[in-house]
Amino acid sequence: MPTNALAPTTAAVSLRAVSKTYGSGPTAVRAVDQVDLDLATGTWTAVMGPSGSGKSTLLNCAAGLERVDSGRVLLGGTDITDADDETLTRLRRTRVGFIFQSFNLVASLSAAQNVELPLRLAGKRPPRADVREALRAVGLAERADHRPRQLSGGQQQRVAIARALITRPQVLFADEPTGALDSSAARGVLDLLRAAADGGQSVVMVTHDPAAAARADATVLVRDGRVEDRVVGADAVTVAARLAAMGA
Amino acid sequence: MLQLSWAGLRDRWTSFAGAVLTVCLGVALVQSSLLLLLASATADAPAGSGPVAQVRFEEARVVAVTVLAVTLALAAFLAVFVIASTFAFTVDQRRRDLALLRLVGAGRRQVVRLLLGEALLLGVLGSLAGSALGTGVVRVQTWLMVRVGLLPAGAGARWHAWVLPACVGVGTALALAGVFLAARRAARVRPLEALDAEEEPARVMTRGRWTTGVLLGAGAVVLLALSPLGGPAGGRAMAVCVSLLAALALAVLAPVAVPALAGALVPRGGVLGDLARANLRDEVRRSASTAAPLIVLVGLLLGQSGAAWSYTEAAVAQLRSTTAADLVVESTADADGALAQRLSAVPGVGSASSEVELPAALTTGSGETAFTGIRRVLVVDPGAYERAHPTSGSLQALRGAAVAAGPGALESSTGDRVGVRVGQVDLGPLPVVAAVPQAVGGGPALLLPAGLLPAELLQGSAVRTFVQLQGGSDRRQVAAALTAAGGRGARVSDVQDWLARSAQQAGSSDTSILVVVMGLGASYALIGVVNAGVVATAARRREFATARASGLTRRQVVGSAVLETWAVSGAGLLLGALAAAGTLAAVLIATASATGTASIDLPWPLVAAVVTGAFAVTGATSAWTAWSATRTAPVQLLRARE
Ligand SMILES: Nc1ncnc2c1ncn2[C@@H]1O[C@H](COP(=O)(O)OP(=O)(O)O)[C@@H](O)[C@H]1O
Ligand SMILES: [Mg+2]
Repeated sequence: MPTNALAPTTAAVSLRAVSKTYGSGPTAVRAVDQVDLDLATGTWTAVMGPSGSGKSTLLNCAAGLERVDSGRVLLGGTDITDADDETLTRLRRTRVGFIFQSFNLVASLSAAQNVELPLRLAGKRPPRADVREALRAVGLAERADHRPRQLSGGQQQRVAIARALITRPQVLFADEPTGALDSSAARGVLDLLRAAADGGQSVVMVTHDPAAAARADATVLVRDGRVEDRVVGADAVTVAARLAAMGA
Repeated sequence: MLQLSWAGLRDRWTSFAGAVLTVCLGVALVQSSLLLLLASATADAPAGSGPVAQVRFEEARVVAVTVLAVTLALAAFLAVFVIASTFAFTVDQRRRDLALLRLVGAGRRQVVRLLLGEALLLGVLGSLAGSALGTGVVRVQTWLMVRVGLLPAGAGARWHAWVLPACVGVGTALALAGVFLAARRAARVRPLEALDAEEEPARVMTRGRWTTGVLLGAGAVVLLALSPLGGPAGGRAMAVCVSLLAALALAVLAPVAVPALAGALVPRGGVLGDLARANLRDEVRRSASTAAPLIVLVGLLLGQSGAAWSYTEAAVAQLRSTTAADLVVESTADADGALAQRLSAVPGVGSASSEVELPAALTTGSGETAFTGIRRVLVVDPGAYERAHPTSGSLQALRGAAVAAGPGALESSTGDRVGVRVGQVDLGPLPVVAAVPQAVGGGPALLLPAGLLPAELLQGSAVRTFVQLQGGSDRRQVAAALTAAGGRGARVSDVQDWLARSAQQAGSSDTSILVVVMGLGASYALIGVVNAGVVATAARRREFATARASGLTRRQVVGSAVLETWAVSGAGLLLGALAAAGTLAAVLIATASATGTASIDLPWPLVAAVVTGAFAVTGATSAWTAWSATRTAPVQLLRARE
């Protein structure tokens, strides 16, 4: 099998000829089309592209949330393409974290309980101090006992980041994490992602906002399910220009 | 995990309260029926009652035990059904929450454990409450049974120490069983579903569900086809089971049947109707959960009562066509046993068949397989009986120490020997020398020739005498003479009046039994419907808010919710009626093959009560829950995306 011939990789995330199609027949949509991508450990990569270009699908495939139709997905050198549910569950507990546009906190739990949830699901009882520290790191030390509905959008997203980071995952996947936030709340979230990347974690972030992409180390431009371009270390204006050049 | 369970309980208390309520009421009803059943099964005849009174008591007890056993079975059946579907529904309503847990690292087994843990907690709570409530329900049930004459006044249930653990065990087990399959299904939820803006309409019709529904439906059809072959008694039993199976089949297939039917019931054209129809299409599970208890309730209620009514009608029609008499004398047997002769001797009387119906202990089989049961026997003058019932065939052989199989014979036919004991008189095994045709309405198991039993044993029993007049005699004069000859309390009626009266009596005793058996069960099923409404609406806040943000007034949102619920209720009622129609078709076929003419009769007041009751209850629930779910301003709900 040719896929077995893959060289071991040190990249945090590697996609090899990954394709994903939704539906079948005339309504089939090829959301990801033969994508090859390597994201180096300890870097922050932004994914940009027109709406419906397959950014979220790409992210979900890379994170093991969506099965690919063909190609291979490697996380930190481990091939997760055909991993069973138990392996993927363990992966979610230890090696990857997620942040989404819609915060996705458990409404019935307090901020602190939400943050410690992944560890408790993994059978660990985190010291209270650790949870406090995680909340303090995102600037919410005072809000530990608030429930999500008592927090603003930006605060909820920071709780979600604290929850995603408490397991110290190798890769943090973020799908439009600032999409529902105003610019100052967005800046706070981006600062936290920057800190995570600087601390050696890898971040993959889908975004619409060139300014957000400019905070990343590199930006991947996607159209019609394909990676069209890759920009490294560009500012917001450059990213916006490249995006416009792509016809978005 | 426990903390998560607790937090979940606190947050979704309305749905969980509904689940606890179904367990509570189910357990209460089952416990009450069980205790009453135990009490009446072990009751002793009042001290000092004579031998015939004792047998009569025994006979009444058998009826009470039967009614209670049927109530218990129905209560248990509804409890299993309502509890399982309510719990399954609460799980299905939480797919997004569970997907979120999976997203942050919960394994499938943890999801199952979480849900089972909750079910355990709710099951124990509900069962404990139900056991306590059951002590109140038992009073209501006793009162009902006493009121309709199925239990003697002063009857009551005794508490047994094992009942509490048994009820808690069973209630909890039911809750766990109800959740188990749903939990397994929920554990397979994809983590990505947590991100879907809308709750993904889960695939409701699994292959297992299709198979179950189709098998149950096929069972109903087979029973329907077999019912003409079962004879009067077997045919009736099969007919009654048709609606049971059909109702279950339709309840299982509700996710397919209800939305389609309900969609057709919503008036076209208006925006509210369009919204309701769209919701019906999307929220298959909600519609199915609301309609399923209604389908089962209406199927059972209409099927059972329709069968009872139609059979009574058929029995009376058959009695009318097989009785050759002008007058009927109802009187009391006297000590010398000469009543029959006195009545025959009245001038103008051509023939008089005096018949005394008595309870007796009949033993069929012998040795190991001997079985003794309390049945009715009819003491007759064979010759006169033949004349009063011309279709009976020849009873010439019925002489001396012999018996004939009666119109309600179940287990004996010509050539058998049956042990007969009436009170303290044991006649020993007697040969069955003749048989009259079986009647649709049943009747005495055996005919005994007069003279076999001592007159003092019959004394005080009711005697029915069918009188044929001689040609040319004056009916009024003869009737007056018969009244005089009949002794104290004798009553002479025209045979048509008597037939009408006995039909009415049979009907009203059927109604009483039905009220007792079905009344409590029906209230329980309705609570299942209310529950589904409450559980469903708990999850609809956002949907309502979106509708209001798109320009609907609060009143319109509530109106649309009520419209949707009514369409679902209508569909449930229609499907229930369809299930009942299975039984009614079987009844038509069975009565036609047994009596030559098909009989059908429905208790229309009951039908009307169920239909209006269902619409009132579901409409009120829906209006109330929708009204309270729209209390918060829509923006507030839409902003806090949780
Ligand atoms: N679950 C799904 N089922 C069917 N089609 C989907 C699904 N998810 C995404 N798609 C389709 O795949 C394409 C890419 O979607 P997505 O990855 O969400 O795009 P983006 O995040 O770039 O906006 C779109 O055309 C979308 O309609
Ligand atoms: Mg997207």
